[in-house]
Amino acid sequence: MPTPPAATPPETAADGSAAPPQGAADGVDYLDQVMAEIDAEVRRRRASGDLPAGLERELDELFLEFSPVGLQGRARLRETLALVDGAAYVDIAVPVASEKPIGTYVKRLLRTGLGWYLRYIVDQVVKFAWAVSRMLHVVVDHVEELEAAVESTRSPDLPVEVARTGEPATDWWRPVAIEALAGVAGRVVHGDCGDGSLVAALVAAGVDAYGVDPSEPALAAALDDGLDVRAEPVLDHLEVVADEALGGLVLSGSVQWLRPNERQRLVDLAASRLTPGGVLVLHSATPASWAAGAPTLVRDLAPGRPLHAGTWAFLLAGRGFSVAAPLTGGPDRTLARVGASTPDADTVNAAIDAINELLLGPGAYLLVATRER
Amino acid sequence: MKLTFVTPRYGTAVIGGAETAARMLAERVAPRPGWEVEVLTSCALDHLTWENTEVAGTSVVGGVTVHRFPTASRRLLEYFELDGRLRVAPSAATLADARRWVALNGPVCPDLVDAVAGSDADVVACYPYLFATTVDAIAVSPAPVVLHPAAHDEPALYLPAFQRSFRGVDAFVYHTRAERQLMEHVFRLGDRPQVVLGLGVDEPAGTGRPGGELLGLGSRRYLCYLGRVDEHKGCQMLADFFARYKERHPGDLALAFVGPVSDRAPDHPDIVVTGTVDEDDKWDILAGAEVMVTPSAYESFSLVVLEAWTLGVPVLVNATCAATMEHCRRSGGGLWFDSYRSFEATVERLTGDPDVATSLGEAGRRYTERHFRWPAIVDRYTAFLEGVAARGRGAVLSAARLEAPRGGEAYTREGAA
Repeated sequence: MPTPPAATPPETAADGSAAPPQGAADGVDYLDQVMAEIDAEVRRRRASGDLPAGLERELDELFLEFSPVGLQGRARLRETLALVDGAAYVDIAVPVASEKPIGTYVKRLLRTGLGWYLRYIVDQVVKFAWAVSRMLHVVVDHVEELEAAVESTRSPDLPVEVARTGEPATDWWRPVAIEALAGVAGRVVHGDCGDGSLVAALVAAGVDAYGVDPSEPALAAALDDGLDVRAEPVLDHLEVVADEALGGLVLSGSVQWLRPNERQRLVDLAASRLTPGGVLVLHSATPASWAAGAPTLVRDLAPGRPLHAGTWAFLLAGRGFSVAAPLTGGPDRTLARVGASTPDADTVNAAIDAINELLLGPGAYLLVATRER
Repeated sequence: MKLTFVTPRYGTAVIGGAETAARMLAERVAPRPGWEVEVLTSCALDHLTWENTEVAGTSVVGGVTVHRFPTASRRLLEYFELDGRLRVAPSAATLADARRWVALNGPVCPDLVDAVAGSDADVVACYPYLFATTVDAIAVSPAPVVLHPAAHDEPALYLPAFQRSFRGVDAFVYHTRAERQLMEHVFRLGDRPQVVLGLGVDEPAGTGRPGGELLGLGSRRYLCYLGRVDEHKGCQMLADFFARYKERHPGDLALAFVGPVSDRAPDHPDIVVTGTVDEDDKWDILAGAEVMVTPSAYESFSLVVLEAWTLGVPVLVNATCAATMEHCRRSGGGLWFDSYRSFEATVERLTGDPDVATSLGEAGRRYTERHFRWPAIVDRYTAFLEGVAARGRGAVLSAARLEAPRGGEAYTREGAA
């Protein structure tokens, strides 16, 4: 039996022997490397056929017998289907061996006597099982084709570590958000809560707040402070919240670069998860400031783009929200007017005003929307 | 702050499982200044019969006040018939059938429920989700209820009786993120306050005796399984896989099953079954193991994985067990198998490549030190409970109690009574 090829340990000591990984990330990377090598070895051995097929199936069935059904279906679709195929045949040649000589005779007699009856029944059972098996093959083929098609059209997520660099550095909007959420009935969740500073501020203001964020490292400080924060994207989180369970919802960060279908799903979820009278607070960079100021990696890799405040207001109003006029803020990106002593000052200032109005303007906006009762 | 645990059975005689986890937490919170801890439980220790074997009344166990109440019924054979019928499509069961299932699963303890209803606790902590004591306590508790579900993906979780009951829970304490995701996915209670706490690990005991000698294996190398020896824990599968491995890899490697035997013990010349051992022997055996194997697909935490890692012993887990996989993936401290083929390849690698075994064991040790030491766990737990108490009882009360099963034939471990 060949030994699987060895992963190179993440670090090597001076004498050439393997040294353990130093950090958690190193350990996980090393684990992935070792498991990849083992998986490759398992595939090689399966292909070699060094275990009789019947025995291998028997051992696989033994494993699946004690595995959760859901996991079997998701992770092992083809293998589970092979087990269905194997079980679709019903053998009526009942074993007749017995420890007692008369036993074998009696069993053989019973098998012969009942064979005509069992065959009639079993033929129908096997036909049904094979029909079901064929149907499952068609379904699995179809599912895999669909998965491949969907995967080929799906734009990748914005990597979390890249997304962090694209968030506005200012927190001008937070006092407004806290004021809007103070006194709401029910819990308030901050999607993309980062280090949890807004959650902490809301809690300090007497709001029953918690947070979610896709980046686990970003949450470390909030967890140490005992805040209720969880490592998951806001869309995933809203899926597991009951209807009308939330008093408030704060959206920032990833709301700026959602895909169109995700954006619509988010609006639908916000409408259903907030109680009547619940408050939604949405903070986003303006499209112009994002296009001009967001890091190039974010702009290039983001699957979507920020919307104008008016577009969000339109979408939210369509789902039963009453939307207040947007507030603007963020870094002052406007060009300063020149002094009167500058030659052609009036002409230059007119041009600056036009540039400020058309191209620059405020860096970010805040929308406060209330779910109508 | 007064904390009341509600658990179907309790005591040092209860080995493993969620009820032991409840005892570990209770015994570590109780000494904290300003905290008063009590336990409400049944007079039964056997979860299959619910026979009243302990004396009703109050006692002190490990520094914790324990109030025991008699079960109204032993487990009836009707339970198995109903369980077989409902487990095919549990979410399609009627609410009446599902509540009947919970009552038959037991233990129904009317006096215990009265005690919860009249409790002056600041927080009631129910542990685990599956039993009648939990469903009834959630329904009647005047204090905020914290549920430690200790759930895994099993048919009973989808019964509508739990869907309704859990609306009355104020906060959740989970063993792992995988458990939180499962619970939130099934019950859509993601807005409730929660904490992923886990359990703590004690400093290793042991006397330094070679584990091989304790097992009668001398200097032979061995894999170790630690816990209840039970077919449902994957023990028979592990024994069969190991027997096949030995056919293909003759050598000195042995396998030790260490723990109380529920089902028939695996029989093989290279397999040792110890039965229950004391703590010192357990740690000595674990320390000498090449690998600690947990073949179970249904674990909600698996303390033994962390115990192995405190000794730097790498682990091998079932790839379909969300909890143990989460430990391995987060720590980098163990490998997993999802077939005989991968079992063979991973055992071969872990026993044949000391660099891999050492690296994994050390990664597991760092993970355990960082996340699962008792003082930090209890700090987080008590802070969380204080927050829950401050929020008050906000969830929906149902007050509808389960009816005690009557009149059927009682189950005994030998069969029908």
